Amino acid sequence: MILPLRLFYITVIQVILTSIVIFFFISSEYRALSNYNLQTLKTFLMNQKKQELQNYTSLAQAAIKHIHPADKNEKTTQQAAIQNLLNQLLYNGDDGYFFAYDDQGINIAHPKESYRIGKSWWDLEDDNGTKIVQLLISNAKAGGGFLQYQWSKPSSQSTSNKMSYSTYLEEWQWMLGTGVYLDDVNQQLASLQQKIDQYINKTKQIILIISLSSIFIIFLLGLVINLSNKKKADKKINELGQKIVNLQEDQHRHISRELHDGIVQILVSIKYSIEATTIFLKHTKQEKPKPLAEAEKNLSIAIQEVRRISHNLHPRILDELGLSAAIAALAKEFSKQTQIEISFTKPKLRKLLPDNINISLYRVVQESLINIEKHAKATHITIDLAIENKWLTLTITDNGIGFNDKNKNKAGAPLESFGIGLRNLTERIEYHCGQLKVSTSKKGTSISANIPTHVFAYHFNSNAQTNSNKRVLP
Amino acid sequence: MPISVTNSAATSVLLVDDHPMVQDGLTACLSYYPDINIIGTTQDGKSALSQALELKPDVILMDISMPDMNGIDATEIITEQLTSTKVLIFSMHDSLEFVNSAMQAGASGYILKDTGSAEVYAAIKAVASGKIYFSPSIATALADNPQEEEEEKAKLTTREQVILAYIAQGLSNKAVAKMLGISFRTVEAHRRNIKTKLQIESLADLIRYAVNHGLIDS
Repeated sequence: MILPLRLFYITVIQVILTSIVIFFFISSEYRALSNYNLQTLKTFLMNQKKQELQNYTSLAQAAIKHIHPADKNEKTTQQAAIQNLLNQLLYNGDDGYFFAYDDQGINIAHPKESYRIGKSWWDLEDDNGTKIVQLLISNAKAGGGFLQYQWSKPSSQSTSNKMSYSTYLEEWQWMLGTGVYLDDVNQQLASLQQKIDQYINKTKQIILIISLSSIFIIFLLGLVINLSNKKKADKKINELGQKIVNLQEDQHRHISRELHDGIVQILVSIKYSIEATTIFLKHTKQEKPKPLAEAEKNLSIAIQEVRRISHNLHPRILDELGLSAAIAALAKEFSKQTQIEISFTKPKLRKLLPDNINISLYRVVQESLINIEKHAKATHITIDLAIENKWLTLTITDNGIGFNDKNKNKAGAPLESFGIGLRNLTERIEYHCGQLKVSTSKKGTSISANIPTHVFAYHFNSNAQTNSNKRVLP
Repeated sequence: MPISVTNSAATSVLLVDDHPMVQDGLTACLSYYPDINIIGTTQDGKSALSQALELKPDVILMDISMPDMNGIDATEIITEQLTSTKVLIFSMHDSLEFVNSAMQAGASGYILKDTGSAEVYAAIKAVASGKIYFSPSIATALADNPQEEEEEKAKLTTREQVILAYIAQGLSNKAVAKMLGISFRTVEAHRRNIKTKLQIESLADLIRYAVNHGLIDS
């Protein structure tokens, strides 16, 4: 039976659907997990930065602790000292520095943007409208706090997100601050996000590959199953064909027997009745009537006719004497009709084959002889029946013109019929686990049927056992 | 149906044919010949064996195509055991293969069923007197194809093949003799014939031959 295509489609769709569901499930799970991880990481990084900023600030405070605001004269000098100190307190390359403003927003110190010193920046805001200096100061006055805003980054000369911590120096009435640029944090998070996306893509590819290969395997499997099913179906058809052939042969054999053993025998008995009548007439000195003589003659013709039909249906000699004798008789008859010489070599044993193999091989010879007569233009045929090395071989060789040339020269009709006949013979021989080989050339054709002996080795012996006369004779 | 006409000079005949109407017809014809005494009729090869041994007829008129052992195989077994009984084949089959097989099996003559009763009578008489008799058409065919008899002689007979199969299965001559209900000497004679025909000397080669030719299951 052929695997239905519908089943194949359903399976493929099933695989695709499963793959899609698995993909979405895995990627959403993955993304949820990674978002949570990113968030945790971000908080962790920010906390780390904040801690750093606080640490740096306390370091800076400690550094300037020894400078105290004195009278007004010295204030400028001290201020300069602090500026100087802050200028040197750098970290993270160019990007980590300290800045100071007084509570009026006037810049006291700025290591990277010295132009700001001495000027008021009370109203300074960034692109988002954050009043930077005001908020830094109010954070500082509230006891220290963090502010995020946009500021130019010294190392890259570009504006980026910055987080600053500011604290208040009560002694000076100043706000001291320092900040970190957050772009590296964002960058870290972005690259992580990218990596996660890569993993998701990879998962997608893996699922795609798995589902594609699954579909391919299903397809392949389907193909293999279909092929083997087809093979099985073909085998069954062949077997069925052979069963029909066997049945036909059995029927022919049966009818042939009915004719030969039934009707012919009755006719023969009638013949003897007529003869008995003739003898009786002779004894009583009466003349034999003409119609009786006529009936006797016609009866003989009838007997011959029925015997001929019986023989054509099934050669009785095959059952009684076996294949060699049947082929010998067939060959002799053929030679007589066609004047084509046949030499036949036969084995020394007889009745080795069961009926169905016997008739198959007999038909091979019959078919071959018919073809040779019709097409081969042969003058000599060799039939060789032999058993060697556990193989029975029947070879029919002629010295005719072969049948390839014929195909080229004439319309293929005779060849086609020959081809069909040959195929039928091949199937018949293959049914007996054998092979039919044909080789043809301009010098002639050879058809060889080979059957392994194990197929029939049981036959003679089991037949001999049942036919043993042990029961009958003392 | 045995006919109870006793005539000491008459030839006793056992009729073996699976068709009763043929038997009746033939019996009717032969009843006109006083020196023919039909002592029995039977309808298959196997019962022919037992009838032959029991009645020991001078001549057995034997059909070939019969159920339960054909006439040729029955002939071989009968002539193996009853040297004084002659077998005259009486058949529809006219091919030489049948004739040669029958002669090889030990038949003394071969006539076709469509021959007249006068000829049947003549054949019975000829065979009973130790001659070989063939229907004229068969005699002609035999003379035209002398090589076929030689070919047939080279082949093993059914009986020889049965014995070869037993030997190949490991049975001794004695066991084979017991199995087939024949004498030890007969088996020995068959064995000699087998070896001559196959041109094989040793037992191992005989076994190999039987297996290689599918005579027995290996």
